[in-house]
Amino acid sequence: MNSASTSASVFRPPTCSILPPQPSISSNSNLSRIQYKRAKTNPRSISTIALQISHPKHLTPPDPPNFSTLPTVSEKLETLVSEFRSLPEPIDRVKRLLHYASLLPEFEESGRVESNRVTGCTAQVWLEVVMDGEGRMRFRVDSDSEITKGFCYCLIWLLDGAAAGEVVDFRIDDLGEMNVGILPIRASSRVNTWHNVLLGMQRRTKALIMESDNSLPLLQ
Amino acid sequence: MRTMEGVALKLPSFSQLINPNQLINRTSLNLRFNFPKSFSSSSSSSSSPKASLSVPAAAPVSLGHSTRPDFEILHQKVPNGSKLVYLDNAATSQKPSAVIDAVNNYYRSYNSNVHRGIHFLSARATDEYEMARKKVAAFINASQSSEIVFTRNATEAINLVAYSWGISNLKPKDEIVVTVAEHHSAIVPWQLLSEKTGAVLKFVSLTEDEVPDVKMLQETLSNKTKLVVVHHVSNVLASVLPIKEIAKWAHDTGARILVDACQSVPHMVVDVQDLGVDFLVASSHKMCGPTGVGFLYGKSEILASMPPFLGGGEMISDVFLDHSTYADPPSRFEAGTPAIGEAIGLGAAIDYLSEIGMQKIHDYEVELGNYLYENLRKVPGVGIYGPAPSQTVDRAALCSFNVEGLHPTDLATFLDQQHGVAIRSGHHCAQPLHRYLGINASARASLYFYNTKEDVDDFIRALDDTIGFFNSFK
Repeated sequence: MNSASTSASVFRPPTCSILPPQPSISSNSNLSRIQYKRAKTNPRSISTIALQISHPKHLTPPDPPNFSTLPTVSEKLETLVSEFRSLPEPIDRVKRLLHYASLLPEFEESGRVESNRVTGCTAQVWLEVVMDGEGRMRFRVDSDSEITKGFCYCLIWLLDGAAAGEVVDFRIDDLGEMNVGILPIRASSRVNTWHNVLLGMQRRTKALIMESDNSLPLLQ
Repeated sequence: MRTMEGVALKLPSFSQLINPNQLINRTSLNLRFNFPKSFSSSSSSSSSPKASLSVPAAAPVSLGHSTRPDFEILHQKVPNGSKLVYLDNAATSQKPSAVIDAVNNYYRSYNSNVHRGIHFLSARATDEYEMARKKVAAFINASQSSEIVFTRNATEAINLVAYSWGISNLKPKDEIVVTVAEHHSAIVPWQLLSEKTGAVLKFVSLTEDEVPDVKMLQETLSNKTKLVVVHHVSNVLASVLPIKEIAKWAHDTGARILVDACQSVPHMVVDVQDLGVDFLVASSHKMCGPTGVGFLYGKSEILASMPPFLGGGEMISDVFLDHSTYADPPSRFEAGTPAIGEAIGLGAAIDYLSEIGMQKIHDYEVELGNYLYENLRKVPGVGIYGPAPSQTVDRAALCSFNVEGLHPTDLATFLDQQHGVAIRSGHHCAQPLHRYLGINASARASLYFYNTKEDVDDFIRALDDTIGFFNSFK
């Protein structure tokens, strides 16, 4: 484990090195917007739309996380958990979440539609879920609650770019340390918005898995 | 007799004790001190066993201060070290020791199934359970205790009316008039019922002052109206509806009226005969009683005409293989073993509230509620929903509000985590109302008679700090 586990460490926001580089999208003029690149095959299925998230708001940290290969979801989770464990005071966790909220990429207005809304939350949350050409999941999220945005940023950092199976297998209990003390993870209520967001990510991932499984025999 | 040990009073000297037998004024509590005889012998006058001195009374203690010692749960610190400031009473109330002791005592001393047993424990349990029913009846001035049906809560009571009275009385195109400000429990059962019967829901909206439009309600009533369902006091807007008038209008068009009294019965005098309502529902847990019990009040002749809701033991008269005959109300609507201890606890809660006096509670809450409203209104960026209090408009002691640019859930989270202040954020089971007001959620601080001005001051201070904190991130 790298030095991120010390109490003085700062949780590094995701860098471009975690996502595979997309050479066709190198223009700087549109960095603030989500870039879409259509896959060459099967224009019918939206699950093959490739999505790259760019993060214009954060600065590339001077020493990126010391991952020799791309970190797994579990490794990232350990980083996140130790990050929040190093903040015993709730106010510090709130501050950290508000900081992450400010790093969340802009969410296009066109994405704020009913079909993207995560239901059962007291805060409004919109979630876009797509599967790229390599079966990896891409997520974008927005909310009217700053604390929720912070949680969602962490969720996205954990799961964006992960294999569909990893997203579905991700265990909710592991996120207890991040909790700003709203409710224990086990209680699934509308107040536990980010828990609902995670469930939403998993549910829609499963749907996309089934869609892509079903679409295979249809290919001519 | 309640004892007042533990009440912290600022007394200039021992010689300025309040005469326990003297009521200082209408709004103060009659304080009873238990002093040992040896102490009273040093008092300067009376030789009676109680301490009684003829000196000017000290400043009256507020109802909040005098009742707080009865609520152990309020005297705690939350994890971050702040003291708990509980302002979520519209969601549920705290229970005084007398109620907790009553439930404990039931389970310790005479727990037994009611109504059927011959033995001593069962007879006692039955007595206490039926005594609780009488207490509820007396509390709301029902004409007889058989007009009180114990349910799990007000929600179940409304569903009982929907599935029993509703199914057998509503036909296609019949109208049920409700307001957009109703709690979900007073909307959803009627939606389910309208799917089954073809009856139609008509919604009454709000005026510019954010109170249900009573004029519109009157105009919506017609000979098609079969039922009017309204709240007495709104759990979001804090407004109070003129139930007596609405009941009269409903009856003039041949309709029945059901009143959701969840936010009124715990806080003020409610007299069902005076109001003239056909059905009234309330929950024990909002009035210092345990969870798991509530009640439906229904006029005897109406209950007598209603078919059963749930089937099972207790609600039957004779059971054959091919049919059964049913008991009279209220048993007809109380299938299975009831929440015996909890009903007895509700009875103890009613005793406790009655001893203080509902008018006294109401007067105190009007004063404290206005204090909350006035101080909250002054916080920059705050908008409070519902009518402004005035000479003619009484608000309940709660404020639902929003702060510009700050999500209520973020607000409530910080208030809790940093300051130990417990308020609620969300829809408060009133999504149609929030949609009507054009908002997604709101925060709500709601008081009860054991809250104090200091609680309100703590809340306002914490709110200022919270707003400052979130603003510093913008």
